[in-house]
Amino acid sequence: MSENLLELKDYSVSFNTPKGEVEAVRNVNLELKPGEILGVVGESGCGKTVMCKSVMKLMPKNAFIKSGSVKVQGEDITSYKERDMRPLRGKRFAMVFQDPMTSLNPTIPIGKQITESILKHEKVSTDEAKRRAIEMLDLVGIKDPNERFKLQPHFFSGGMRQRCVLAVALASKPELLFADEATTALDVTVEEKILNLLLDIRERLGIGMVFISHDLGAVARVADRVAVMYAGKIVEIGTAEEIYYDPRHPYTWGLLSSLPALARKDGELNFIHGMPPSLIDPPPGDAFAERNKYALAIDYEKEPPMFQISETHSAATWLLDERAPRVVSPVNLKKRSALWQQIRS
Amino acid sequence: MKKRRITKKIIKRVILFFIAMFVLSVVVFFLARLAPGDPLQAFYGEALDTMDESQIEAARQRLGLDDNLFVQYFKWLGGALHGDFGLSLKYKMKVQNVVNPLIGNTLGLGITAYCVVFALAIVLATVAALHEDDWLDKIICKVGTATYYIPSFWLGVVLVLIFSVNLGWFPSSGAYDVGKQGDIGNRIQHMILPLIVMIASHFWYYAYMIRNKLLDEFRKDYVLLAKAKGLTRRQIVWKHCLRNVAPTIVSIMAIAIPHVISGTVVVEAVFGYPGIGNLAVESAKYHDYNMLMMTVLLTGAFVFIASFVAQTVNEEIDPRMKVTKEIRW
Repeated sequence: MSENLLELKDYSVSFNTPKGEVEAVRNVNLELKPGEILGVVGESGCGKTVMCKSVMKLMPKNAFIKSGSVKVQGEDITSYKERDMRPLRGKRFAMVFQDPMTSLNPTIPIGKQITESILKHEKVSTDEAKRRAIEMLDLVGIKDPNERFKLQPHFFSGGMRQRCVLAVALASKPELLFADEATTALDVTVEEKILNLLLDIRERLGIGMVFISHDLGAVARVADRVAVMYAGKIVEIGTAEEIYYDPRHPYTWGLLSSLPALARKDGELNFIHGMPPSLIDPPPGDAFAERNKYALAIDYEKEPPMFQISETHSAATWLLDERAPRVVSPVNLKKRSALWQQIRS
Repeated sequence: MKKRRITKKIIKRVILFFIAMFVLSVVVFFLARLAPGDPLQAFYGEALDTMDESQIEAARQRLGLDDNLFVQYFKWLGGALHGDFGLSLKYKMKVQNVVNPLIGNTLGLGITAYCVVFALAIVLATVAALHEDDWLDKIICKVGTATYYIPSFWLGVVLVLIFSVNLGWFPSSGAYDVGKQGDIGNRIQHMILPLIVMIASHFWYYAYMIRNKLLDEFRKDYVLLAKAKGLTRRQIVWKHCLRNVAPTIVSIMAIAIPHVISGTVVVEAVFGYPGIGNLAVESAKYHDYNMLMMTVLLTGAFVFIASFVAQTVNEEIDPRMKVTKEIRW
């Protein structure tokens, strides 16, 4: 077994706020292999972004790692300070953000924003850095990189800017890329292209990615494995097929049923009722219990452990316990399940 | 194409300049005359008490103060357009001749203070922003705020007490000692105390503005990307944020011109520094109408030109402002 690119163990991140401690990420266990794409899905505020930003330690000062450890390529960086992190950022891991319109400095030519990253990490001449930057622009599919190199971001459309952001992030050849809602702000046709680009980059550079999104379609498109997060926890994790065709957690059912393709007969969309709980003093037991129509009495008292379903698939719900009543997944998801059985056999 | 646009722009600005000056002159002209008090007091001083009605009437006529206000205004305007701004009632000579030697004093004081204020403000703002919420930032903020709230007339008097009266290091008033007009060292010596007061009462206002602008800038998304690629806070502030904040700093600097100039008024009055500010205060006090018009129009023109320059510089710095025009073309 090759070394894990990223390994989170019992990882918790909290914020100190005037109203109390916000437990944004709670006891997350996760690993990522080199060259693998892990999709992370969940509602807004479920801790997806915090999880990734905290790995890179790009958090505001009031955030802290409450427990657990982070390992990147076997190196434990949990207690690393700003000074220790700097050489790693951009080199070991890089990040792409949601809004390409604001993530580039508007007054600096994009070429310079790329070379800056290269020059920071490697002792190369300016010419060499420029050559590499142009190569990078070419890699992310910017045409005429030689001329575009000198242009400021406002000459580019949203999709092209996101390509530029990718070029900046990939410039010093990181091993791990966090894509935080990288395609959310783009329209669907551009999104499709960027998703293809991500797959292409993985193919060519062999880097691992954590692809955060609340768009299940986009995740299905690129991810090898998918983690479903709710209220700061991973509630279900498995290969993309397992999550999409054989989901076990009621929250995952809810998410998948909400896809427009699975709309009800009357044309109404399915949705998950209620709001996620406040993460200041999260409720005991299963945080999803209150919104869960399949909730059991125990859900309100005791937190469900991760039940292993297959070697790759596990979910945290009491429904998987031997003693639990047999609950069938929603009808519209059953068809998918059946399909999955077919695929497997 | 481009040249024509620039010419058009300049013509527009020049027209605007004259309109502004015209409005300013009308307002000041009538306001000054509506204020209670007698300009003859300034001209004759004590002698006025011993003059009889007919003498006063004759004096008024001679000075052109008996006409209808509008006639007076147009007479003044006619003269001004020919470069004749009239007679100072107090100094009994042409206002230009009174003002000319003082302009240098005020400009010297104002420009030096202005440069030091902004050099200091930018440096302190950057240092504070780099160390946001650390002890260094906190000290700079607290000391800066305290200095800002010391009234400048009070600080002036205290400085004079300490450094002129007790220690005797610096002179307490004037721009130079008698007979040492050309001695630069002597002039600098006279300038130091007024400068300190000007700087102390102005720098923090701007330093704080720039600090907050920098911090706002530092919260933007692109800073996160820059951080994510491994740049240090220092590099991001110097290479990215300061550059992006530069247009704002230039605008602040332009707006600051009248602010700092108004500062010279107080300081010149406290230190008896012979300059335009002191002159403006005096002329308002003595109803020296022509002198008041001169000083106000002079500062007005200065402010207008300064803001024009600032805008031009702004457009040069920030490429986004230019692009909209290119697209329109």
